[in-house]
Amino acid sequence: MDGVAQVQTVYMATVVLLIAVGLYCIISKRELLRIILGIEIMASAINLNFLVMGLGRSGIDALAQSMAVMSMAIGACLAAVALALIVNVFRHYGTTDVRKLRRLRW
Amino acid sequence: MTLLVSAAIMPLVKILEDQLRFRRLKEILVTGSLTLSLALLVMLYRQIPKGGYLEAFLSGFGLPFGVQFYIDRFSIYMSIIFCGIGLLVAIFSYRYMEVDTGLDKYYGLLLTLIAGMVGVAFAGDLFNLYVFWELMCISSYSLVSFRKYRWEAVEAGFKYLVMSTIGSLIALYGISLIYGCFKTVNMHEIAAKLVLIQYKLDFSLTLYLYLAAGLIICGFAVTAALAPFHTWLPDAHPAAPASISAMLSGVVIKTGIYALARILFTVFSTIPSGVAIGVTVHSIPIVDYGFVMIILGVLTITIANIMVLKQRDLKRFLAFSSIVNMGYIASGLGIAAYLLYHYPSQSYGLALIAASGAVLHILNHAVGKALLFLSSGCIVHEAKTRDLVKLEGIGRKMPLTGISSSIGLLHLAGVPPLAGFWSKLMIIWGGLGYFQDLFLLIFTAIIIANSIYAAGYYLWLMQRIMFGKLGSAAEKAHEAPSSMVAPVVILASLCIVLTFLIPWIMSIAKVSVLALIGGG
Repeated sequence: MDGVAQVQTVYMATVVLLIAVGLYCIISKRELLRIILGIEIMASAINLNFLVMGLGRSGIDALAQSMAVMSMAIGACLAAVALALIVNVFRHYGTTDVRKLRRLRW
Repeated sequence: MTLLVSAAIMPLVKILEDQLRFRRLKEILVTGSLTLSLALLVMLYRQIPKGGYLEAFLSGFGLPFGVQFYIDRFSIYMSIIFCGIGLLVAIFSYRYMEVDTGLDKYYGLLLTLIAGMVGVAFAGDLFNLYVFWELMCISSYSLVSFRKYRWEAVEAGFKYLVMSTIGSLIALYGISLIYGCFKTVNMHEIAAKLVLIQYKLDFSLTLYLYLAAGLIICGFAVTAALAPFHTWLPDAHPAAPASISAMLSGVVIKTGIYALARILFTVFSTIPSGVAIGVTVHSIPIVDYGFVMIILGVLTITIANIMVLKQRDLKRFLAFSSIVNMGYIASGLGIAAYLLYHYPSQSYGLALIAASGAVLHILNHAVGKALLFLSSGCIVHEAKTRDLVKLEGIGRKMPLTGISSSIGLLHLAGVPPLAGFWSKLMIIWGGLGYFQDLFLLIFTAIIIANSIYAAGYYLWLMQRIMFGKLGSAAEKAHEAPSSMVAPVVILASLCIVLTFLIPWIMSIAKVSVLALIGGG
């Protein structure tokens, strides 16, 4: 493999690792804010993946860069809505412990 | 573009809310812009050349950088459904949402929701689809938890947000992998590149294709409410205001299936070379996604059917039946793809029938489920409870709503001659075409059994609403205000009208599917 492909392989392994970390945070953290941080970790990993895929001999493809920036903007909107929801959850339940959000069942 | 008209009106709504004291201006603006969009969409339909498409590039960049809008008949078909249901929901919200404050944000979010969905329908490349997809999803998260003074909306909204965001991010990962293989995100460019290299696929590219296809299916299946990704839906639908439940169940989850169909049939399919002159050229899947879609679809139908009868809450009941119908649509598309993959040259007609059935079922279920959720909104508005035991026999106290919801239940149950029967028949017909293929036979038999079971519980619900002994909440109820009942009656009459227009609608569905599969 030439140099570009080697760098790409290393970075793609990092992306997979970061997605795994993000998923782990979302699944097994007890506080709502940490779940949102897990979502943001996953989003950052996928932005990195966009950039890595656009790697070429003369730098990173412009399309990949523009897609990464757009994706970051969307991630910011998502975080805003999620944080507003966390504030409202706190107003209702008095806690940000996700194990207390169990009133909706079968 | 029409959807930019929709999106651009939205900030005006917010400004005008403070400036003008004219009371009903917001609603008039919303209804007006939706009607305008619907008219423009119909005009756009006439401009599409026969069997072709329109395309437009934003800011004149051109391939491969430009944002491309690719509008063919399937896109227009879906967009007309989205705008139509949106218009009826806006009329319904006129009285239903009176008790809420912050209505400017509600209508603004409703407009961005519809704009996002129309953008997904018109998207010509993968990243454009993702951007409009996120616009739609973020609007829907906010709308589900709109009544934030109730704990239920907030909890369900948060759960929906986390699950749907994970789904969107997984789909985005798949999109970035496809970008890495082909260095372009334009769906038709990727298809063209695949045509060139289809006989020289090496192992690593095949691996990427399978991985990306799997990620995209899982990602969009979360919003399309396919099992096992459906668990957000039974919580989100009852918690949302009834008009938003109608939107969610009627059109937002259809957008998931549409995105899945568009990406799978366009990006992961190719036109075989070396076909004789005069033979219809259509696309053939490169990745065997029909198999996965059939399994997911049938799993969805079975799981949701089992869960339905346990529900005591009217809207949760309807939410599970939405999941069942999404399973039908996914199975229909899966049967078409499976036939195209395994029997490439002889099953084209049968695959068309199955896919047309799925596409027609999108329309049928959108109309029927929006009807049911809006009528349940009327019922809940009058009776102030969602408990099925207390709501028995309320159809006799609210005659228009009761009769309309009975028509809707019969339509969704697949009772002939109402329109819902024909779409299910077409899906099952496509599945039963090859008796020697055991896989298809078994799964189509499961679909038939589930259809009969579903008809059973729809009729059970109709019996409880119309003919049961009057429950405690039903005694004090009277008919809902007329502007809330009007969309319900319009949708019910649409169910009956669709019955008479079945040949015309079937040919529209077939033309849309031809645009999807045939054009490549």
